[in-house]
Amino acid sequence: MKTLVLGLGNPILSDDGVGIKVAQEIGKRPKDPQITVAETSEAGISLLDFVVGYDQVIIIDAIQTKEGKAGQIYRLKPDDFSSAKYFSSPHQINLVTALELGKKINLPMPSKITIFAVEVKDVTNFSEKCTHEVEQAIPKAVKMVLRELSG
Amino acid sequence: MKKITIDPITRLEGHGRIEIFLNDAGDVDKAYLQIPELRGFEKFCEGRPAEEMPRITPRICGVCPTAHHTCSTKALDDLFKVEPTPAAKKIRELMYCAFQAEDHIFHFFFLAGPDFVVGPTAPAAERNILGIIGKVGLENGGKVIEVRKRLRGVIQTIGGKVIHPVCGLPGGVSKTITEEERKEFIEAAEYSVGFSKWALELFDSVVLKNKEYLDLVAGDIYKHRTYYMGLVDRNNKVNFYDGDLRVVDPNGKEYVKFKGRDYLDHIKEHVEPWNYMKFCYLKNVGWKGFTDGEDSGVYRVAPLARLNAADGMATPLAQEAYEKMYEVLGGKPVHNTLAFNWARLIETLYASERMLELARDPELTSPDIVNLPTETPKEGIGVVEAPRGTLFHHYQTDERGILTKVNLIVATTNNMAPMVMSVDKAARSLIHKGEVSDGLLNMIEMAFRAYDPCMACGTHTLPGQMPLEIIIRDPEGNEVKRLSRGIS
Repeated sequence: MKTLVLGLGNPILSDDGVGIKVAQEIGKRPKDPQITVAETSEAGISLLDFVVGYDQVIIIDAIQTKEGKAGQIYRLKPDDFSSAKYFSSPHQINLVTALELGKKINLPMPSKITIFAVEVKDVTNFSEKCTHEVEQAIPKAVKMVLRELSG
Repeated sequence: MKKITIDPITRLEGHGRIEIFLNDAGDVDKAYLQIPELRGFEKFCEGRPAEEMPRITPRICGVCPTAHHTCSTKALDDLFKVEPTPAAKKIRELMYCAFQAEDHIFHFFFLAGPDFVVGPTAPAAERNILGIIGKVGLENGGKVIEVRKRLRGVIQTIGGKVIHPVCGLPGGVSKTITEEERKEFIEAAEYSVGFSKWALELFDSVVLKNKEYLDLVAGDIYKHRTYYMGLVDRNNKVNFYDGDLRVVDPNGKEYVKFKGRDYLDHIKEHVEPWNYMKFCYLKNVGWKGFTDGEDSGVYRVAPLARLNAADGMATPLAQEAYEKMYEVLGGKPVHNTLAFNWARLIETLYASERMLELARDPELTSPDIVNLPTETPKEGIGVVEAPRGTLFHHYQTDERGILTKVNLIVATTNNMAPMVMSVDKAARSLIHKGEVSDGLLNMIEMAFRAYDPCMACGTHTLPGQMPLEIIIRDPEGNEVKRLSRGIS
């Protein structure tokens, strides 16, 4: 199964970069010809360019939820975001709309998409480091992604 | 596995928030707009070599990386006092035009367009790109995807990476263009010109031929008589990459023209106690509050402002479209905020035509792409027209080129005061005697979207958009009503 592991976020915006850090850890492991590891700071529609043509996509990103505790990791499916599908954005559409658009215009879309979202604390201060709680969640998130990859 | 309900939160300053205070009669007393601001970027940069800036600044956010990269590179030209070679300037401008066109197309078809093409009162579930494809058909929808792909291909070839270009160097660019690549650029530009013409025809048939929409565009609800600023070339035509900054007054008369490096003589930032964001204004007119007219230093930037601040477009088809817009909307300058969307499509056509001109120029493949700096650095200022308006990068360094001070004015900051005014005006027209129209949230969002504000925070973290919240309060400050989107 042709698989993409995609880390999302901004690597210089504190916890926002957690997805990228997890992807980088995965990328350091021995190469598997079926698995591509990538990172991007783009969102929404641009993600289509990345995911098209893969059978499986694993996305790692930051998330903030109402009662969330920094460092918590959630394993999610695109459907979990369906309530957020049609929200407007200042300059982006969201992931779910992007995926739906890809299907609509008959692009070869992955059949399996899993999202690992790490609960974050600080995404407004510029720093190359994550906060302590989020930093500690990275090895755990890496393990979860590897488990997903193995099957 | 357990189902998790996604519940994006109201994070402190992490979302757009509008507070509307009513007076005793139940009409609007004052509306406040607060949007997120990222912090600490200047500190983050200090102590680093200035040459790193074209690679760091595109990471401020994933929305306009090419604008930051290009502006930063120009600031380095100025810092090291080195003029780029003619071929390097053309390569940079070509990449920049591809970026501008791609960004504008995205905005129209994915963000602002749905309000018009699908309809401002259509259900929210249809007011998106999927709704547009439903209206214009799958084949035309495919064109939107194709033109984006080709334009991004141009950025990738020149910049190295689409998301974070790495080609800019003080005095030039790092990589030459091959003849084969030049041919690809010509094809991409031709496709983009054709696409932009189609987009303007679509705007014509869907918006201009519909009286209700035209009234909305030409109406009073988002009208502000402000100053306008934009880069112009030697002939006072719109330019995105280079030139002088020209400001026109609310009557369309040139107020001042200045070099980017003199921006501090003309632009000042005003601080309000209720917002971390700063509000730019024309220093020599003065800050008179959130008000328009000749006496108020509030000015606007971005597509409509650029068209207002210039005498025309430097390419033939865009010039035709430019003339048509002013004819339909009753002459220059146009003060209607929703006309930003129209101006954006005219600029897309210009960017495409300009790309084609540059791609056809054989000098593009010249091997002479960089002049090496020899001066000791001290201070450098760069300016470009980002899709969302004028962008300034200002660096100061020690004699080794290590940054000691960094100041950026990002495009959206220029438009902050007018955005507050647009929100206030929309609120006033939609709230009477304590009755809040249900269309308020969307009408306010339409004002937002016209400016295409960039609020970096909202773009990365899941679920990938900036939540917006409107709180209406009585004169005692008690909450009367709360409207929100993206916040539960």
